[in-house]
Amino acid sequence: MRNRIFISRLGASIVAASLAISAQAVAKAKLPRLANGRPDFSGIWQTTSAADYDLEPHATRSDAPPGPGIVEGNVIPYLPAALAQKQKNFAARNADDPRLKCWTLGTPRGIYYPEPFEVLQRASDLTIVFQFGQSVRTIWTNDTLHPKVTDNEFYLGDSRGHWEGDTLVVDVTDFNEETWLDRAGNFHSSQLHVVERWKFLDENTVEYRATLEDPNVFSKPWTIEVILDRHREKNFQLIENYCFTRDFDQYYPVPTQTGPARDKE
Amino acid sequence: MSQSNLLDAIRSAILAAAVTFAAGSTLAQDAQPAAAGGGIQRERTVPAIASGKWTGKRLADGQPDVQGHWSNTIANHNNWTDPQGGVPGDPNPRAIPKTQRSERAPSRVSDPPDGQVPFQPWARAVQQEFLANFHNPTRPEYIEPLARCAPAGVPKSFTWHGFEIRQYPGRVLILFNSGWRMIYLDGRAHLPDNVKLWNADSRGHWEGNTLVVDVANNNAKARFARTGEFASDKVHIEERYIFDNGGQRFNYVATITDPTVYTRPWTATIPVKRYTERDEGDGWHYEVDVANTKDGHLQHERSERICIENNGPFGQVAIEPPKK
Repeated sequence: MRNRIFISRLGASIVAASLAISAQAVAKAKLPRLANGRPDFSGIWQTTSAADYDLEPHATRSDAPPGPGIVEGNVIPYLPAALAQKQKNFAARNADDPRLKCWTLGTPRGIYYPEPFEVLQRASDLTIVFQFGQSVRTIWTNDTLHPKVTDNEFYLGDSRGHWEGDTLVVDVTDFNEETWLDRAGNFHSSQLHVVERWKFLDENTVEYRATLEDPNVFSKPWTIEVILDRHREKNFQLIENYCFTRDFDQYYPVPTQTGPARDKE
Repeated sequence: MSQSNLLDAIRSAILAAAVTFAAGSTLAQDAQPAAAGGGIQRERTVPAIASGKWTGKRLADGQPDVQGHWSNTIANHNNWTDPQGGVPGDPNPRAIPKTQRSERAPSRVSDPPDGQVPFQPWARAVQQEFLANFHNPTRPEYIEPLARCAPAGVPKSFTWHGFEIRQYPGRVLILFNSGWRMIYLDGRAHLPDNVKLWNADSRGHWEGNTLVVDVANNNAKARFARTGEFASDKVHIEERYIFDNGGQRFNYVATITDPTVYTRPWTATIPVKRYTERDEGDGWHYEVDVANTKDGHLQHERSERICIENNGPFGQVAIEPPKK
């Protein structure tokens, strides 16, 4: 009796395992690929998560919907002084978040910010164009290394990618310290080092993982994970959003025969 | 920003501009007859490139392969119709060219033959008003939007620094020093007419060696040059990027139609040349860094371009520093 149950359970799990394998094989076979066989991440992507409001788990509050967080282990391992800075940032978040000025969001924040971004891919590189602020990031997959110059300070970092099977692994360094990681004031220094892992779950879904380390701010490396969904709406496209121009758009009305509006202030 | 802050900012910007000139801007070199390799104004003529067959290399999807780094050969955005003539009224005597008009590059207006934008009288007055106030702006609208880090728009972006073309199936992406444009080749319709954008909305197709792009949805905020030429948000632009089969040049030829502003359609022509590893990066036409290659071979790559966050506004009549 016991043996039969065991055998039937074994049989079921073999069937389940082989189903899982064949499902994986189907998913794998359907993945979009470049001519060189690498997975092709071209497309418009966006997360549905509340990560940008706060990477850590949080209840609802006036400026954020609740969210379970996307940090493995739930808590970002700040060094004590950095934790104090994070708390200051949090208190001032509705004034100091760089997103409020429409500044480049940085890496990885641009990836889980709730506006779409588009990936355009060649064998030599992936170009990511973000709708928010129209920032442009290049991930080089041409076997080049981080710059020899070590005092670069980029908003989006310097991104060098390589392939581990069908996973795109991107090493990102050369940051500045101007960007935040979310609206809750989580932050980093110029010593930030990010390792991203981009992997298709199916042709319309990407698992995005990023491990962050920064000896000035965190006591140990930590990892986030979000799911990115492909925009499949008919005629969907990025719409230009140079939102930093909104402060001065008013000064440039369409010239008309009656002239620009005068002394409207 | 309050009015007094703005005026302070303008004052400091004018000081900054004076320092820029004293440090030897490209305008100082305008005063010399344009010599090959000197400054950003390298050529005085526009080569003829005929539309026709493409015999050069192609991408896998059949598009002519025109990827890489490019820049206009004439001058920057100082002056639309006398590209090497500086900005009229410039208070800096060194910025006034000593050459005769015939010794300088032709107008970017290739039709009508007189080289002038065929403005309606009221529109000519609006252009002249901007120019008259350019060197001493007393109102925010006299500051060119590009100086505030706005995208340069269509067609001005092609006179502002070099740019990179990247191509993909169904797409041509142009990365400018300030902003970028996506040209869709997949036959989709323009965005709805009420959506107006700095860099407009671009739908293109290839005809032999020519990329033909229909441009609509322009917000009309970006002037064409510091001389103040403009269109309205009703403007329709048909661009023809005519590539020579040697792959080293193209002419940007745009027919600009806007019955609310001009008396007739007119044509702009901007000559462009390719830059490669055979060229030295110069921080303007060819803004590249040397990639760190494993075997040490020379390879250039584009680095991050940031305006509003980093240097913020710039040059001639810059404005307030970015908010910190």
